[in-house]
Amino acid sequence: QVTDLIASGQTINTAGKASKTFLDLQQSLNWLEQEFQVSIAYQDEIVKAKKTRAKMDSFESVEQALTVLLQGTGLKYDKAGERFYIISQKKPSQVPSLNSQETVLVNSFPASNKINGGSTFSGIENAKVEKRRVEIGGRITDENGSGFPGVNILLKGTTTGAVSDAQGNYVINVENENSVLVFSFVGYVDQEIVVGNQSVINVQMEVDESNLEEVVVTALGIEKSAKSLGYATSTVHSDELSINRTPNVMNALQGKVAGVSISALGSGPGGTSKIRIRGQSSISGQNNPLIVVNGVPIDNTNFGSNPGNNASDSSIGVRGGGNTSDGGDGLSSINPDDVETMTILKGAAAAALYGSRAKDGVIMITTKSKNDSKGIGVTYNLNYTNEAPLDFTDYQYEYGQGEQGVRPTTPNPTSGQWSFGEKFQPGMTQVLFDGVTVPYEPIRGRVKAFFRNGQNVTNSITLATSSDKGGMSLSFSDLNSKGIVPNNTYNRKTINLGFAYNLSPKFSFRGNFNYSHEDNENPPNIGQQDNTIPVALYNMANSMPLDVLRDNRYDANGNEAVYSRFRNRTNPYFTLSDQFQNIKRDRIFGNIALKYYLTDWLFVQGRVGQDYWSRDQDYNNFPTGQASRAPAPAGFVNGVYTQEQRRFREINTDFLINANKKFGELGVNVNFGGNHMQRRSDLNSVQVTDFVVRDLYTVQNGRAKDPLYDLNERAVNSLYGSAELSFQDKFFLTGTVRNDWFSTLSKENRSILYPSVSASWVFHENLNTTGWLNFGKIRAAYAEVGSDADVGAYSNVLFYGINNNLFGGQPVGGPNGTNLPNPNLRPMRIGEAEIGFELSMFQSRVSLDMALYRKLTTDQIVSAQISDASGFVNTSINSGKSENKGVEMLLTVVPVESNDFTWEASMNAAYNITEVLSLLTDQPGERITVGTHVFNGELRQIVGMEMGQVAGFGYRRDEQGRKIFGANGIPLRTPDLVNYGSALPNWVGGFTNSFNYKGIMLSFLIDFKLGNIMLSGTNFNAVRHGLHKMTLEGREGGVVGDGVNEAGEINTAVAPVQSYWEVVRSQALVEPVIYDGGYWKLRQITLGYDFTKHLPANQPFKSVKLNFVANNVLMLKKWVDNIDPESFGYSSDNLVGMESTGLPSTRGLGFNLNVKF
Amino acid sequence: CDSNFDELNTNKVSATSIDPAFQLNAAIVGCAYPNGSLIYDIGVVQQIISPNSGVLTGANYNQDNRNATQELWQGYYRNVIKNTRDVINRIQDQPERSNLLQMTRIIQAFAFMVLTDDYGSIPYFEGGQGYSQQVYLPVYDSQEAIYEDLIKELTEATSALNLSGRVETADILYAGDLNKWKSFGYSLLLRAGMRLSEVDAGKAQQIVQTAFQGGVILSNDQNAVILHDPNYTNTIGNLLNSTEASNFYLTAPFVDYLRSKNDPRLSAIAITYVGAKSGPEQTVASGTYDASVHVGMPMGNDNAGAVKAASDLGLASFYEFAQADRRRVAKNTAPNFLVTASQNNLLLAEARHRGWITTGDVESYYNAGVRAHMEQLGFVDENSAIPSDEVDAYLAANPFDASKALEQINTQYWISSFMNGPEAFANFRRSGYPILDTNPFPGKEVDFINRLTYPNSEISVNSENVNAAISSQGPDNLATKVWWDK
Repeated sequence: QVTDLIASGQTINTAGKASKTFLDLQQSLNWLEQEFQVSIAYQDEIVKAKKTRAKMDSFESVEQALTVLLQGTGLKYDKAGERFYIISQKKPSQVPSLNSQETVLVNSFPASNKINGGSTFSGIENAKVEKRRVEIGGRITDENGSGFPGVNILLKGTTTGAVSDAQGNYVINVENENSVLVFSFVGYVDQEIVVGNQSVINVQMEVDESNLEEVVVTALGIEKSAKSLGYATSTVHSDELSINRTPNVMNALQGKVAGVSISALGSGPGGTSKIRIRGQSSISGQNNPLIVVNGVPIDNTNFGSNPGNNASDSSIGVRGGGNTSDGGDGLSSINPDDVETMTILKGAAAAALYGSRAKDGVIMITTKSKNDSKGIGVTYNLNYTNEAPLDFTDYQYEYGQGEQGVRPTTPNPTSGQWSFGEKFQPGMTQVLFDGVTVPYEPIRGRVKAFFRNGQNVTNSITLATSSDKGGMSLSFSDLNSKGIVPNNTYNRKTINLGFAYNLSPKFSFRGNFNYSHEDNENPPNIGQQDNTIPVALYNMANSMPLDVLRDNRYDANGNEAVYSRFRNRTNPYFTLSDQFQNIKRDRIFGNIALKYYLTDWLFVQGRVGQDYWSRDQDYNNFPTGQASRAPAPAGFVNGVYTQEQRRFREINTDFLINANKKFGELGVNVNFGGNHMQRRSDLNSVQVTDFVVRDLYTVQNGRAKDPLYDLNERAVNSLYGSAELSFQDKFFLTGTVRNDWFSTLSKENRSILYPSVSASWVFHENLNTTGWLNFGKIRAAYAEVGSDADVGAYSNVLFYGINNNLFGGQPVGGPNGTNLPNPNLRPMRIGEAEIGFELSMFQSRVSLDMALYRKLTTDQIVSAQISDASGFVNTSINSGKSENKGVEMLLTVVPVESNDFTWEASMNAAYNITEVLSLLTDQPGERITVGTHVFNGELRQIVGMEMGQVAGFGYRRDEQGRKIFGANGIPLRTPDLVNYGSALPNWVGGFTNSFNYKGIMLSFLIDFKLGNIMLSGTNFNAVRHGLHKMTLEGREGGVVGDGVNEAGEINTAVAPVQSYWEVVRSQALVEPVIYDGGYWKLRQITLGYDFTKHLPANQPFKSVKLNFVANNVLMLKKWVDNIDPESFGYSSDNLVGMESTGLPSTRGLGFNLNVKF
Repeated sequence: CDSNFDELNTNKVSATSIDPAFQLNAAIVGCAYPNGSLIYDIGVVQQIISPNSGVLTGANYNQDNRNATQELWQGYYRNVIKNTRDVINRIQDQPERSNLLQMTRIIQAFAFMVLTDDYGSIPYFEGGQGYSQQVYLPVYDSQEAIYEDLIKELTEATSALNLSGRVETADILYAGDLNKWKSFGYSLLLRAGMRLSEVDAGKAQQIVQTAFQGGVILSNDQNAVILHDPNYTNTIGNLLNSTEASNFYLTAPFVDYLRSKNDPRLSAIAITYVGAKSGPEQTVASGTYDASVHVGMPMGNDNAGAVKAASDLGLASFYEFAQADRRRVAKNTAPNFLVTASQNNLLLAEARHRGWITTGDVESYYNAGVRAHMEQLGFVDENSAIPSDEVDAYLAANPFDASKALEQINTQYWISSFMNGPEAFANFRRSGYPILDTNPFPGKEVDFINRLTYPNSEISVNSENVNAAISSQGPDNLATKVWWDK
């Protein structure tokens, strides 16, 4: 069974959630046995068909759980010994008592199913006394010499067994003196003893140190009990990712995790996922969390359009223009089926042991390494979703194609992208291309007509085994995606092997290998004005019929037929048929860990992990014959083609020494470790311009050739330690310290030491006098982290390059790039304090988890725009300071519960505000520009204001607020740029409601992002091209703007309508296209049923589950015109809020079928 | 724990230094005029305009379009000044590279002169010092102070060229020919001196004399020209062959003036696509150079106005207006002239006319200036070559008239500076010739454009300094005059 809530208690409620919470009693007991590693004995018939409702994972002890679970069932439990419980009816005498005289025999174990303490006594009612030849008895003791109840005793090679009683005594009948008895208990080492001539066999069980209690995996893979954590984490289980899945694993979690903002970019199925935990702390570039798989970081290099990571090791992005597609990120090669759990470490304290790369939190993924029950299991999963593009355009359809009020009436008109034509009248015609006459009438629904329905089909099969020594999990998965752009497909095949094995009680190893092959064909260009399908399509004149556009895309020479005087706006059908891109990535990552117990309280661990990928990419930046391109020299055809290979390798080697010992009520857990990280990336690329042979896109065929090789290397060495003190298992205090040495920084600045401290107190036992409080904990933490994340390798030196082509036989060269190097960069530092509490009340019908944090980021390394009169455009400065403050909370309530019907509702919400405290100085109003939109606005950081201010010119107004117009009637702009507000959302969250009616589970999720401003590039274009409804003003006779002239008189000047609206472009007067970028969405609906209980007895299926899913179901509220505020193309924080038309968002409908054999 | 980090953080595949001569080459290539020069400079002097709005808004409407006004600024600071400052910084203490240093100072002076002529006050003393001095937000200097220093720089650099010193053979402008560099330097000094004619005639005279005595470019084989090729294309030529191929036309004032004088340059420059009703119909087959066919696009039209104007003039469409031929003078590989013999001869004609120099006679300079430009066209493209008898015929038919000396000389300078936008724009403002009608566009912001506006990025990033410049120079609009423009 799967649980949702660990550590801080952040629950993610979605599909499948209900099944985990609302168990029948027997399933609950099974779960308890596994989770707490205890034995619970009962007769099947007394628990059979009994329903219960409990949030299983909120239980801190078996006793607590059993108390809750057995309420109203007429049953009670007795603790028969350490880790051994017996359930009986409250009316006594119907349960066989466990004493030496009436040994319970267990005769129904299948031969392959080894007995252990986790097994259920399921065959008691069938117990029958065999004819025994020898009766053996004795006493089993634990490591302290006390009687050990509940130990399983199996007569080897048979199904005959027994269990020790409350005092540890047992009796069993054996066949002869050669019989072998196996004594086993979860958490203890099995013992096999030959009977020989003994009639009394006393056994002392030994603790199996390799088999610790259920815990949370924290940083570096260090396992800790949930209640000891002093900081917030969230755990996501595999169902959350695999049922309602998305091609990029993280996008399935939108709206589900408190304090985590996930944006699926409108860039196709192989695209990146933008994840921000507790807002954005770094002023520029990327604020991506670190991805850790099984304890070792993997690469999450972002090949998104405008990734903005100036320190990326593959910082040379696409070359030569024409290609602005989203090439995906590191998460896109992970198969959701392989994920066992995902833990999100939100704060600096949680992440402190990961150091620099964890400044934005950590996503820790544990992949499967064994079957979830003993023996061999095979799971097959089929997931299908259909993605329908959504059209939010609400353009004007009163005036059609043309400029200055004239419709096209002669061959080869070139208004194409303008809708400033004539008013539609019945019977009017227009002439398009070379004499195609068609009705002059509005063409609606072009978004749906151009794009197709996308499709994702995933087939996964997993083979897993589990035994007392370890386990193994092998999976194969195939994801086939069809993007909504008709030539875009994405295929991902993954093979994952995970294993864990105990060589001896002291020595164990575990490891995982993941191989993936991704094939992304034709990811569409987005986020630019030119050479991109979405912009051309969304701004196509509103009377342009798509079939005419498609059928006339070529002229007589096979070149693109000119349809617009704006030749930059390539005909989307020409792009579709003539531009291509192929990205293939092979990736293998994995690690192996060896662990050895020197004593029962001290182990050492060594681990090595590698992430290696190679990525082949080729694309024709500009196809031959594209109308926006100049002709080639005589003898050649034009076009640009690029072929490149990237190779990346990151190796992490670490060691860890752990000591864990109890001194009475005081527990001490000390870790010391070190890590060496080394990373290298290589890039080979050749770009050619113009071709000898038409349509042969190879580098050999090019006229001018431009090869490139780039190499990046960096390393970080670290030493770290942590110490945890616990008292009575109620008070916990943890301190960590880490020192990093960064290769990218100068000698004086490269070493940095940072500490963290956290504490928690589990208090409910002290307060819980009335019983309403099931669990209570408060926690507090403070941590510091340093980072070189925004410093690229070699960024301290100015480098020079020589152009590939000689000029007149002579070399031409100069400084590389536009970024001014700064040799004196120091590591950025983050200090974060958080406090929080967790409560579970009224038999867990109400649970609340809250956290408050304050995060101070200093010495930020900021790529600031500087005056280009300096010769450079940007430089890295090292003085930014910002503060994130926020609250995040998760509230879960169960309003209705009965045997047949339950309703659980949960809400997560996070409020974050990030203020810029200083840049070069702390003077309020001081500002830097970190990113500019495609020529119409910019993103700024301003001291004293919220981070990420959207700025642009506005209407100039007089003191009364009236717009001021020039003598020509055209609005005047403000002398300076206006700050419109922060592009970062203040509120992020979601509501989930889950219903379970007789096993039918329905859940839906509403999510929201609020409090962010956006500059809409789509609307910017819609205004200047006459598609936006606001441009209807003044169509007849021009616009007389409502306002005054420069003399303060009422404006009477008539401006031509087209010029009037084109000021958004010519004057960058973007005020009309500034919007609130928030939304409320019905994000997800899931309907599921577990058919397992209807399966007949003797067939191979262990379980069959079917879920129907719907994603991005309904836009409940938005403020921006014509688009989904989420259909956004940029993965960079430098361009957050700067919308440029991406792919339309889609509504997904599908199902997930999960079958276990 | 950081034992090999210094080695690790050493870039093994990029150079930390290259021969500064290659950087000078980059700076020279960077001096080619950007598209914004077509949209403004060339439009202000009414030679080529577009009827289209939006991206192409500029001198066609006499409206401010900051996306176009910033191009010269960005191109010059990022590509020219960045390199020249770095070269000077690196070799100023290397006597053996002294000639390269002087050449670099000359190119830098050229670029700064173009910048200040177009914008007025600009970052000069601190401009381009991002790397050498860590000046991220440079202050602006007045044009007066800039010219003072430009004259000093040009004088010093030119005289410091050592003819027996090292020859910088990698130089793409003159292959290291120091005599030509000297001529180039003095030519710029001549240009700078003439620029001061209205603001300080005495000083202008003195500088012109110095330049003239030093020896300026007077023959086409000395022209300062960037010889574009298929790999380093002419920016404006590329634009006129790609996205905007059908969107720019020769103006009526320019075509009409050339035709009125039977100027053979009209055929050499222009093409008309007879009967073209659309961009795609502008084919080689329908093209003609015939001067009698060419019709210039009247000033002051938007897209619809151009349609109407074409119809009024009996053209098939506005696509039939004459264009600067994108296969000859506006081709992808058209050379970009920085200083020409024609321009210098005409400046000397004016200087002689003013009596600032005493050698030669005005008419000879005038004739030489006209002839040099006509010959220069054949250098641009062999299909634009003008036979010498046509040159003679033109000069015979349009002889120098001393009573209209300034108008004639500077009108020729206007023609001579065709496709050399910044110089045509500057000399038009200085001299007041040719006499052009104000742009009749109804929505114009100014009658004549007197300067270009500052980039939005400066207003955003460097606001304190740009505001200081504005408060001393005048509002940041198209109307404010630069210092030497009286």
